[in-house]
Parts: sequence; C-alpha cells; structure tokens
Amino acid sequence: MRDTVDPEFASYVDARQGRWLRTAYLVYGELERAEEQLLHAFTRLSLRWGKVDDPDVFVQRLLYQPALSRWARVRPFEGEDEPVKLALASLTPAQRTVLVLLYFEELTEYEVSDVLSMSQPSVHGHVQTAVGRLGAALGSGDWRDAYRRDQQ
Amino acid sequence: MRREEVRPLLDRASDLLPEPDLTDTAWAGGLAIRRRRRRSTIVGLAVVLLVALIAAVVAGLGGNNTGIVPPTTPPSTPPGFIPPAGQIFGVDYWMAPPAGSERFLDRLETPLGDALQLPVSAGDLREDPFDRVAAVVLSHRNGSFTPLLLDPTSRWARVDLQLSAIRSGEPLGPGAISPDGRLVAFPQPGGVAIIDATDTTDASTRRVALPAEDIRSVAWLENSDGLLVSGPGVAYRVLIGAFTVGAEQVAPVAASNDPFDVAAPYRLDGTGNQVALMRYEANRTWTVDSNPRLPVGTWAGLTFTQGAIAARMFIADQLPQVPTVVSKPQVVAAISRQLTLPSRLLVLGETPAATPTPGRDTPDRIREPGCCFMLGWYDEQTALLQVAGWVIAWDLQTGRVRRVTELDVTGVALGPGVRG
Repeated sequence: MRDTVDPEFASYVDARQGRWLRTAYLVYGELERAEEQLLHAFTRLSLRWGKVDDPDVFVQRLLYQPALSRWARVRPFEGEDEPVKLALASLTPAQRTVLVLLYFEELTEYEVSDVLSMSQPSVHGHVQTAVGRLGAALGSGDWRDAYRRDQQ
Repeated sequence: MRREEVRPLLDRASDLLPEPDLTDTAWAGGLAIRRRRRRSTIVGLAVVLLVALIAAVVAGLGGNNTGIVPPTTPPSTPPGFIPPAGQIFGVDYWMAPPAGSERFLDRLETPLGDALQLPVSAGDLREDPFDRVAAVVLSHRNGSFTPLLLDPTSRWARVDLQLSAIRSGEPLGPGAISPDGRLVAFPQPGGVAIIDATDTTDASTRRVALPAEDIRSVAWLENSDGLLVSGPGVAYRVLIGAFTVGAEQVAPVAASNDPFDVAAPYRLDGTGNQVALMRYEANRTWTVDSNPRLPVGTWAGLTFTQGAIAARMFIADQLPQVPTVVSKPQVVAAISRQLTLPSRLLVLGETPAATPTPGRDTPDRIREPGCCFMLGWYDEQTALLQVAGWVIAWDLQTGRVRRVTELDVTGVALGPGVRG
C-alpha cells in the first residue's frame, strides 16, 4: 500500500462520496454518524483497493448494514421539524433503509437484498409499508391506495 | 402517494448537506490500520520467539529431560521402594539407619507399644489364658525369673513358674515362642521349661529333663509339636505331642559349638566358603539346601524362617562395600530358597562422626558384636530384629526400616501375636 493516495482510489471516492453521504444521512438520520460510517467504509476499501471485485457493493454493505444493527441505532433526525424528515423518522430502520436505497440510491429490490443480506420478499414488504407510512405521515391518504395505483 | 413522488421528497430532505472530502482521511486511516496490524504481527512473533527461547533455556538448564518422560511400563517396585545401596557377592544390600536414629524412624504399630517395659501389674495366666502370645519377657526377683506374657491386645499375664538362670544368664532366647503362638519354652540348667498359654490347668507348665546340664537355646519345629534344645556341643529334639498327657520324647540331634546354630526348619550356618542353608530332616539331621556366598565372620542369634526365606544375622570380617573404622559390619542375611524371590541383605554399620575432625576418624556410635540378632517375622516380608535397645522392622520388599519399640527390658522373645 503506497503512502500517498492512489489516484484511482481518489477519483473513485471523489465521484461517490457526495451521493453516498446524502444516502447515509437519510438512512441514519444524523450527519455526523453518516460521515463517520462513510469514512469507515472508504478506509476499509483503501486496505483492499485493487483486490475487491465490486467496490460499490463492498462500500454499500459496510455503509448500510450497520443501520439495521439493533445495537447501533440512534434517534434519527432529532431536533428537526421538516415534515419529510419527521416522516422518515417515523419509519423503522429497516423500512427507512430499504426506502432510501430503492428510491434515492435507485437500486433494484434484488440489489437491496444483496447489500443488506436480506431476503427479497422482506425488502418488498418493507418498501410497501414504508411508502404507505410515509404517505400517511405526510397526509397523502392510505398507502394501500397509492400502492394499488402504482401497480396499475 | 405515488412512487415517483418519493424521490423528490428525499432529494429535498438531503439537499443542503455539505460536500465531504474523505479521500485523504480514508487513505491515511487505511495506512494507519495496516501499520498497526504489521506492528501487532511483529510483536506477536517476537513474543512467540521469546517464549520458545525461554523454554529452550529452561530445558537446557534442566539438563537431561528424560526424567519427565512418562515410563512406558508400569513400575516393578512396590510403593515406597528404596533402591538398594549396592551388591555384596551379587546380592542386593540396604544400609540400616545409623545407631541413634532409631527414635526418628517411622513406627510399625504392634501390641508392644512405643516402649516395652515390665508391667506394673499382670493377671494370672491360668485365670485368663491367651489364644496367641505376642511377646514374652522375664521378671527377675530373688535370683529367679518369672515369665510375663503379652497377648495381641497388649494384655499382660504372669505365669506361676520360677525359672533359674542359665550359664549365659537370663533363661530367655529369641526362639522361645512356638510358631502357632500357643507354647513358650525356656532353656533351664539340665532341661527345658514349657508353658502352654492356652491351658488353664496345672498342666499348663511343664519341665522336661535333658541329659546335658548346659542348655542355652530353644528353637521350635515348624509345626509347633516339638522343639530343638541346644547347648555348646549338645542338642536335643523334644517332641511335645499331646503335651498335657506327657508324651514328650527326647532324642539327640546333630550338635554345634554355637547353641544358636540349631534351628528348624532351616538354618544358616558355616563361614567363609562353607556357608550353607540347611534343612532340618525328620531323622534329626540337616541336609544342605544351598550354599549362598556370604562374607560371614561369625553368626549371631537364631535362624528364623518365613515362607521361602530364612534369615539370620552375621558379623562380617571385612566388607569393601561398607568400610568401618572401629567395629565390624553386622548383616542380616535373608536368603531365599526360590529363584523367583531374590535374597537380600541389611547392613548395620557405624555412625560416622557428625563433625569430621582431621586426624580423627572415630565414629560417633558403633554396634557392639552380639547386640543385634533376629527376633522373628512380623509377616511374610517383614523381619523383626533386636538392635541394641530397639526392636526394628525391615521390609524386604521395599528395603524400608521402621522402629517397632524401644526396649526397657533385658530381653524379649516375639511370637505370631505381635501382628495383633
């Protein structure tokens, strides 16, 4: 491992750090925690830079799986008064993570299940519930109606 | 809510975040982790090498480590085995603890107690007879001797019998008690006195007259139905048979100058190249059973036989293996009649000076000739010896010597009741 930053690593991180910081912020509901988790993931990637088959999946697993850990949870969006953030805070960590990865990170359900080591039906169930609860929290009607419209 | 409405909401919730710059920090963190791992690996290897080095040094200082290798075969020696001190004429010998150390030996529990002394009071044997006699001593009063018997429960009994002194003094020899423990015999001038400790009638004591006047030793036959009575140059077999009806028969047997040579069923006799283990025959003679090689100067005391082993004490002329300054080594020879059972020797030497002085090599203590002789057997592997003022026990299997009792009496004979 070279003492100075590998240029390829630098360009890789530069290209993704902004987007992943926002994703992590929505998942964890706390900027400091999101930045800490992202730095941890990039640091681990630097140790295996050039040896990892899919760096994106490697980083995403390190970045998002801790959000599901029962022992590392924080109160999301504490002190915020924005309705969207309050609505996100009303979701469970699994619902919020699945929702963000599907609609913000724009992964497929299959990719989400791979990143979170979760079954695909579980991902599907979490996102249905998350969309409904988010809509209800924001006053957009019953989530089942919205989901049915989506399916049509 | 429609699905496409979700993305704008999430964009709005995260659009004011600062732009991070984690590249350098992440790379530096990776470097730090890698260095820390390398350092830990080096330290771990150093610790392992240090432990291996210490183990090698300890093993090297410990010398030959074959001592901690478990044996592949079970031990062939009994627990508590003491290795022999060496060999005399190919026979293993052990050194007895030096004179003066008897008090500090482990004790063998017997009815004799810690110290054997004349009892203050004793019952009448006719009123309360014994099954077996453990020991007999003599009480000396007004020129005559009265036997006192001890039973396996440490109970003393007095016998209504007055014994006269013999030429050598007290009329009590180490072979006084019969092998079955019921009878006790005493050499008397011109005869032998016999007590049946199990009989309550007046016939419990009897005197048998002999043709010779100087009688000094008695030794019982193996089945307790007769005894060998001897003096210098004379020896007789006295058959007891039906003791109470007086069926004894007196017949001469081959005699020896030393009255204590005469013993049955085996006797160790002879000196120099003539040492022999001899068996007593029904025709009142002895036949040579074997000729063990022993450095015998003179024999002391009787031969006692237990199972396949006959044991007697001798005084050696010279023993290169056990050098002495003033006295001659005394040796208990336990000679086996079976090839599978080894013969063994116990050597009683001198007690060297505790503080050696240049130009002076006198030992602190010596054992005088005649001080020590066999008293019998405790069991099949333990010989009982009188050594000066002590009775000690020698375990032939382990070589271990224990004290039995300290003697506050002038003489004692032991019987099978000593086993309790």
